[in-house]
Amino acid sequence: MVALDRLFAEIPNRILLAGIVLILGMILGYIANRVNRRLLTRAGIPEAVEGTAFERTARSVGTSTVAIIAQLSMWFIIGVSILAALSVADVRFTAQFWGQLTGFLPEVFVAILVLIVGIVVGDKVELVISERLRGIKIPQIGVLPRLVNYSIVYIFVLIALGQIGVATSALVVLLGGYIIAVVIISAVAFRDLLRSGAAGVYLLLNQPYGIGDEIHIDDHAGIVQEVTVFVTRIEGDEAEYIVPNRRVFEEGFVRVRHD
Amino acid sequence: MSSLEAVLDSLISEVDAVALFSPSASAYDRFVGEDDVDVLVISRENTVDAENFIELPLDFGDVRDRIRFGIEGAMDQGVIDDGDVLACVVPVFADEPDTVVRVRASESLHTGIYDLFVHSRAEADVIRDVLELVIELGKKGQKGQRVGALFVVGDAGKVMNKSRPLSYNPFEKSHVHVGDSIVNVMLKEFSRLDGAFVISDSGKIVSAYRYLEPSAEGVDIPKGLGTRHMAAAAITRDTNAVSIVLSESDALVRAFKGGELVLELDPEEY
Repeated sequence: MVALDRLFAEIPNRILLAGIVLILGMILGYIANRVNRRLLTRAGIPEAVEGTAFERTARSVGTSTVAIIAQLSMWFIIGVSILAALSVADVRFTAQFWGQLTGFLPEVFVAILVLIVGIVVGDKVELVISERLRGIKIPQIGVLPRLVNYSIVYIFVLIALGQIGVATSALVVLLGGYIIAVVIISAVAFRDLLRSGAAGVYLLLNQPYGIGDEIHIDDHAGIVQEVTVFVTRIEGDEAEYIVPNRRVFEEGFVRVRHD
Repeated sequence: MSSLEAVLDSLISEVDAVALFSPSASAYDRFVGEDDVDVLVISRENTVDAENFIELPLDFGDVRDRIRFGIEGAMDQGVIDDGDVLACVVPVFADEPDTVVRVRASESLHTGIYDLFVHSRAEADVIRDVLELVIELGKKGQKGQRVGALFVVGDAGKVMNKSRPLSYNPFEKSHVHVGDSIVNVMLKEFSRLDGAFVISDSGKIVSAYRYLEPSAEGVDIPKGLGTRHMAAAAITRDTNAVSIVLSESDALVRAFKGGELVLELDPEEY
C-alpha cells in the first residue's frame, strides 16, 4: 500500500488530471458511439442505404454505414479528449502544432462525414433512378444513373474539400460549366415538352374539356379519349390524333355543344 | 405399368411444340437442349429468359383458361400454327409441373382470352388491374354483402357518348387511376352505386354512375344473365371497350369483348 501511495505521489497532478480527461473522453466516445448507432437505426438509415455500393463495401469488410458513422463520432470525441489531455498535461514543446491541430480536427471530421453522406446519397439516387428506368429496355440508359451519381459525389467532394480549406475554385468553375451545359441542353431539348407539360397541368387542373367531349384543335376534330400531362388524344372518324398540349394554348380549341 | 406408359407415349408422340407453364430455370434449360421441338414458356414473368415467352396477366385458376391463353398467345405471335399439336406441362395442384396436356391448336379453341388482354384498346396492365379489383370485390363483397359491379374499360370517349349520368359523377375533376391501393378501397365503396364505372385506356377513372345506352341489337350472350350483363356485352359491340362484370346473383366475374363473353371465372379460386 505504501508503495502505491508513493507511486501516486510521484505522478504530478497534471498528468493525473490528463489521465482522467482521457478516460472520460473514451467513455463519452463510447456512449456517443452507442447513442448514435441507436439514433441512426431508429431514423431508418439502414433501410435507406440498403443496396448502395458504399453499404455493400462496408458489409464486405464486416461493418455497416451506420457503424462507420457512429465510430467516426467516437474517434472524434476520443481525438478531442487526447488533445485536451495533452494540453492539460502541458506538453509545452509542441504547443504550436497541437493548437493548429485542435482547430483542424473538427473540420476533418465534418469533411469525412460529408464525404460519406455524399457517396451514400449518390449511390441511393443511382439506385432509385435505375429502378425507375428498369421498364425502358435500352442498354445505354444505364449511363444516366451513373452520371447523376458522379455529379452528386462531385458536389459533396467539393463541399468536403472546402471544409478542410483546399483551394477548389477551379473545380467550382468546372461544376458551373457542367451545370450551365446541362441547363442549356435540357432547355433546348425539352422546350416543347416543358411547354406542353405546363399547358397540360392547366388542362388537368381546370379541365376545360374532359374525356368524351367533342373538340377541334387545329384541324383535328373528334372525341377526347385521354388527357395526359403532355398530350391530348382525340379520336377522329378514321384516325386518332395525338396533339401536344401546347397546341391547345397556341391555337385554342373549339368545343362542340350538343345540347 | 406398360399400359400407363403407352398412355403417356400417346400423349407426347409427334408434338410440334412443348409449352412449359411457369417452369424452373433448370427444367427450361433441359428442354431447350433438345432441338426437335419448339419450346414455349408461359408464366407471369420471364425468369428463364425464354425466347418464346407469353406473359400471363393472371394466374388463371382454371387450367383450361391458362392453356387457352398460352395457345392463343403463341398463335398470335406466330410461334405455332393452326393444327399444331402441343404438349403442355402444367402445375395444377403444386408449384411443380404435375400434368401433361395434349392439345391441338385450332380456331375452334379460340375464345379471345388473349386478345382481351393484349389486343384491347386499353393497356393490358389496366385490364389486369380492373380484373384483379373485381375478383377481390367478388371474394369479399362490400362489407360482407354480395355486390354486383360493371366496369367498362377503354375507348372512354365513345363510351361516355353512349351513356348518360344517373347522378353527379364522384370522379369529376379527379385524377385517380385503377391499381393505386387507395383507389381500390374507393371503388369498393362506390360499387354499391348503380350504373357503370368508365375507365380510360390508361386507367384513369372517368366516371361512376353511368347508365349505358348501347343498342343491344344482335347481342348474343348466354340466356339467364341479367340486364347488367346485357348492357356490358352491348357496349363492347358498339365501342372498342371491354367490360368486366361482377354478377350479383352468382358472384362470377365475366369479361366481354366485341359483344361476346370471352372470360368467365370464379373469384373464389384466386
